Amino acid sequence: MSRGVTYAGRRAPGAAFLFLAPFLAVYVIFLVFPLFKGIWISLHDWELAGGYRKYIGFLNYQDLWHDKLFWRTIRNTLYFVALTVPTMTLLSLALALAVHGEGRLKAVLRSVFFMSSVFSVTVVTLIWSMVLSADKGLLMPLWNALGMTPINFLGNQTFAMPSIALATLWWGVGLPMALFLAALSQVPQELYEAAELDHTSRFNKLRRITLPSIRHTLLLVVVLQIVGQFQIFGQTHLMTRGGPANATRTIVQYIYVTGFRDWHVGYASAMAMALFALMLGFSMLQLWLGRRGEDA
Amino acid sequence: MQHFKFLTRMALATALAGSFASAASAADVNFLRFFGDCQTEYGTVTDVSKANGECGIITVLTNKFNAENKIGAKVITQTAEWGAFYDQLTATYSTGNIPDVAVMHASVMANFAERDLLTPLADGFKKAGIDTADFVPAALKNAMSKDTLYALPYDLHALLFHVNMDLMTQAGLVNSDGSVKLPSSPEEFISMGKQFKEKTGKYFIASESQSAEGMMVRLWESFMWQQGVDVLSADGKTATINSPEALKAAGLIKSIYGEGLANTALDYPGAEQAFLNGEAGILINGTWGVDNYNAQAASGKAALKNYKVANVPTIFGKSKVWADSHMWVMPKDDKRTPEEVDAALAFMKFLNDNNFQWSRTGHLSVRTSVIGSPEFAALPHRGEYAATAENATALPPVQNQRGVFNAMITDFNAMWLTGAAPADVLTAMQDSVDQILSRNR
Amino acid sequence: MSTARRTGTARTIDLTLLVATIVFAVLWMIPIVWVVAMSLKPNSELMRSTTGFIPIPFTFENYVNILKLATVPLWLMHSFIVAVSMTVAVLAISSTAGYAFARLDFPFKRTLFLIMIAGLMVPEQAVFIPLFTMFADWGLHNTHAALVMPRVAVPIGVFLMTQFFRAVPRELEEAAELDHASHLKIFLKIMLPPSVPALTTLGLFTFIYAWNDFLWPLISATRADMYTVTVGLASIQGNFAFSEGLGSVMASAVFASLPIVILFLVFQRFIVAGVAMGAGK
Repeated sequence: MSRGVTYAGRRAPGAAFLFLAPFLAVYVIFLVFPLFKGIWISLHDWELAGGYRKYIGFLNYQDLWHDKLFWRTIRNTLYFVALTVPTMTLLSLALALAVHGEGRLKAVLRSVFFMSSVFSVTVVTLIWSMVLSADKGLLMPLWNALGMTPINFLGNQTFAMPSIALATLWWGVGLPMALFLAALSQVPQELYEAAELDHTSRFNKLRRITLPSIRHTLLLVVVLQIVGQFQIFGQTHLMTRGGPANATRTIVQYIYVTGFRDWHVGYASAMAMALFALMLGFSMLQLWLGRRGEDA
Repeated sequence: MQHFKFLTRMALATALAGSFASAASAADVNFLRFFGDCQTEYGTVTDVSKANGECGIITVLTNKFNAENKIGAKVITQTAEWGAFYDQLTATYSTGNIPDVAVMHASVMANFAERDLLTPLADGFKKAGIDTADFVPAALKNAMSKDTLYALPYDLHALLFHVNMDLMTQAGLVNSDGSVKLPSSPEEFISMGKQFKEKTGKYFIASESQSAEGMMVRLWESFMWQQGVDVLSADGKTATINSPEALKAAGLIKSIYGEGLANTALDYPGAEQAFLNGEAGILINGTWGVDNYNAQAASGKAALKNYKVANVPTIFGKSKVWADSHMWVMPKDDKRTPEEVDAALAFMKFLNDNNFQWSRTGHLSVRTSVIGSPEFAALPHRGEYAATAENATALPPVQNQRGVFNAMITDFNAMWLTGAAPADVLTAMQDSVDQILSRNR
Repeated sequence: MSTARRTGTARTIDLTLLVATIVFAVLWMIPIVWVVAMSLKPNSELMRSTTGFIPIPFTFENYVNILKLATVPLWLMHSFIVAVSMTVAVLAISSTAGYAFARLDFPFKRTLFLIMIAGLMVPEQAVFIPLFTMFADWGLHNTHAALVMPRVAVPIGVFLMTQFFRAVPRELEEAAELDHASHLKIFLKIMLPPSVPALTTLGLFTFIYAWNDFLWPLISATRADMYTVTVGLASIQGNFAFSEGLGSVMASAVFASLPIVILFLVFQRFIVAGVAMGAGK
C-alpha cells in the first residue's frame, strides 16, 4: 500500500469538503431543517389549512402511545417488511443472475422484468386489484376448474397483506435487480475464469466469488428495501384502503389519512417521527451487522 | 325639487357605473372542479341539449356563460382529479392560486367553513338574484354551516335501487301495475331475496363490497335514519353507533351476504358489471349511474334490457336515504377584487338558472321549481325516484364528517369480509369514530 | 471469455434455468399485456367486461383523445424538465459525495456518514408538510425548483454511489496516485468509468421516480399550466373513471410510461456494461 493511504482513504480534508459541499448544502436545507420543523409541528395541534396552531407539548405522543390503531399499523408494517424485504432481495438477486450476460435474449428478459417498474402506483394497484379479484380476476378459470369458491384475496384477512406484497414484488423488483446487475458487471471476469479452470461448481462460484464481490450492493439493497417497504402507502391505500378490518393499514397510510383527510397534521407528524425512529433503529441494526464483517 | 335632483344624481351615477363596468376589462373567474375534461368533445359547444354526462354538461354550460354573459366575465376552468381534489384545493390556499369558484361536497364543506376558508354568500346571492327559498330544505341545510350560507347547492346525489325488471318479473317480484315489488321490513327483504334466488339462481343484490366506496355503510346509515336515530349528533361531538337500532340494521346487511343474496367479491366496477350483465336483480348505487345504465340498457349490447329505478325502500319505518350534495363555493381570498366577486356570482347565478340541465346527469335537482317542472318529469326514470329528493338525508355538516364515514368503512365491511359479528363490528366502529371526534374542536 | 468446456450436466442446468426464466418472464408480462389490451378497447365495452387479452373490439380512440389535448405537450415538457434536472442533480451530488465517503478521509467522516444514513430513514411524510410550508413561505410553489429541490436532498444516491465506489478495486487508484493525480482527475478518470452501471441505474430510477411522482406535484404545482404528466392525466379523468372510463385510464398509463420505456431500452445496456477489469497493466 502506498504511503498515506489508510483503509479509510487518503487524508484530504480540503478536497473532501469540496466533494461533499453540494450534498451537504441541499441535505441541510431540504432534509435536516424540515425534519426539525416537523418535530416542532408534532408538538402542536396543527391543522392543514386555516392557520390553527396550538402548542400542546408532548400530548400528541402521549395520545399516540395509547392509540390502538397506531400499534396495529406498526404490527402490520413490520409484517409487511418481513414479507417483502427477504423475498424481494432474493428474487431480484436470482433474476439478476438469470438475466445477466450478453445476447439479445438476455436483453429482452432484462427488459421484461424491468418493465413492471415504470408504471405509477395508481396503475399497478388498479391492475393487481383486477388480477386478484374474486369476481373477474385472472384466476377465475382456476377456481372454476377446481370447483371452489374463489378466494377473495384483498378482502380476506389472511391473504390481503401477502397479496399486496405480491403486487409490490412485481412492481419493485426492477431497481434491486438493476443494482445487482450493475454490481455483477463490476466483478472481475478473471475470477470466474480461474474458477472455471478449477472446475468449481456453479454453487461454489456463487458462494465464493459472486456473493462476496457484491456484498456492498447486497447491503445496499437490503437497507433500501427496508427503508422503502417501511414506508409503503400507495398499495395499501389504493388496493384495500387499509382493510379488511385494518388488516392492511400501514403506518404511512394512517399518517396520510390523519394529515390529509382529517387535517390533524400535528398528530400525523408525531406518527412520522415515530416511524423515523423505528426505521432508524432497524436500519442501524442491519448496517451494523453488515459492516461487522467488513472491518475484518 | 330635491327629489328630482337626487334621482338625476342616481341616474348619472348608475350610468357612470355602467360605463365603468363595460369599460373595465373582463373579470376572470378561476373555476376549479373535478368531473373530468372533455374539451376535445365539447370545447366549442354552447348548446346544452347536445351535452351528456357530468363532464359534458358542465363544460357546455361554462362555454355558454362565457359566450353569452353581458358583463364581460370569463370563466377559466381548471380540472382536477376527484380522489385528490381536496388535497389540491387545500394546497391552493398556500400556493397562491385560490380559485374563485370551486365544487365541494356537502360532506366536506363544514371542514372548510369552520376554518374560515370560504366566503359567506347570502348577501352575494341576494345581489345576484339567486332565490334561496327555491331550494329543497335538505339542500339548503347542506349549504349552511352554523347558520351561515357558504355554498350554492347544485344537486343531491343519493342512493338508489337500480332494478333489472326482467329478472324481478322472473322472480315474481313485480306488482300488477308493473312497478317493482320492494321489501318494507327486514324480514321481507330476506324472504324476497330468497325467493329471487330460488326463481332466478342469481344474486338479489349487487353492491360494492370491498373497502373503497363504503356503499353498504351508506345503506346502513339510511337504515339508522329510517329508525329515527342520528348517527352523528348535530354538534359533531357524539356518534350513536353501538345501539339496538344499529344492531338491527347491521344484522340485516350481514344476512344479505350471509344468505348468499349478494356477492362479497364485488368492487365498484364489478358491481356495475354484474348488474349490466344480468347477474343481479338490484344494484345498490347512486343517482349518478342512471343515465349510464339507461344508455347501456337501450343500446341492446348489455344483458340488462328492462331497466327501472326505485327509491331505496323504507325498511324500518321512516322514509330516509343517504345523500350527499355537489355545491359551488367561493374559497376565501383577500386578494379578490369586487369585480371578480361579481363575475363569480354571475357565473353561479347562471349555473343556478340552468339547474335543470345538470339534473340530466341523473343527480337530483335541488330546486323545487325544477323538480316540479314537466321537463324534469320527462327525463327518463326521474318519476321513479322523485321521492328521493324528500327522503334525502345526510350526516350533519360537522367537522371531519367525511373522516367519520371513511373510518366506518373498514370496520363495517369486516362483517362479510372476515365474518365478524355485528356487535363486535359496531363496537369497533364506535371506537374509531370516537377517536376522530375527540379531536374536533 | 472462458474457453473451458461446459459439462453436459452444467449445460442442462443452464438450459433449464433459462427456460424457467423465460416462462417466468411470460407470466410476468401478463399484467402489462392486459393493460395494453384494455387501453385499446372502448370504454363502453370495458364497462361490461374487462376480461380478455386480445383487444376486440379494437379502438385507438383512448390514445387519440389524449393526443388531441392541447395541454399534453405542456405537461410532458414540465415532467421532462423536472425529471432531467433531478436526475442530473442527483447524479452529480451523489457521485461527488459518494467518492468522498468511499475514498477520502477527513475529520468527522464517520459521524457525517452516519448522519447521511440517518437521513435515509427519514420518511417522506415527516418532511412533506414542513417542506410544503417552507416553499409556500418562500413563494416558490408552482415552479420547477419546488418540484426538484426536495428530492435532490434524499441521500439514497449518496449511499448507492458510496457502496459502488467502495467496490472499485484499489489498484486502479494506486496507480494514479503514484502519478500524483489530483482528486478530481482520479474521480473523473478512475472512479466514474467503472461506475457507469451504477450511475445509469441511479439515473434511470431517479428519472422514474421524478416522472411518476404524484402527491408532491399535486399540491405544489397547483396551477393548470404547471401540471406535470401524472397530475395532468389524472385531472382529465371524470369521476368514476375506473368504471366508466377504464380504457382512457389505461391509455393514460401506457402513454405516461412510454418515455421511460424508451429511456430504459436505450440505456439498459449500460447497466450491464462489463468493464474488463484487467488486474495490473
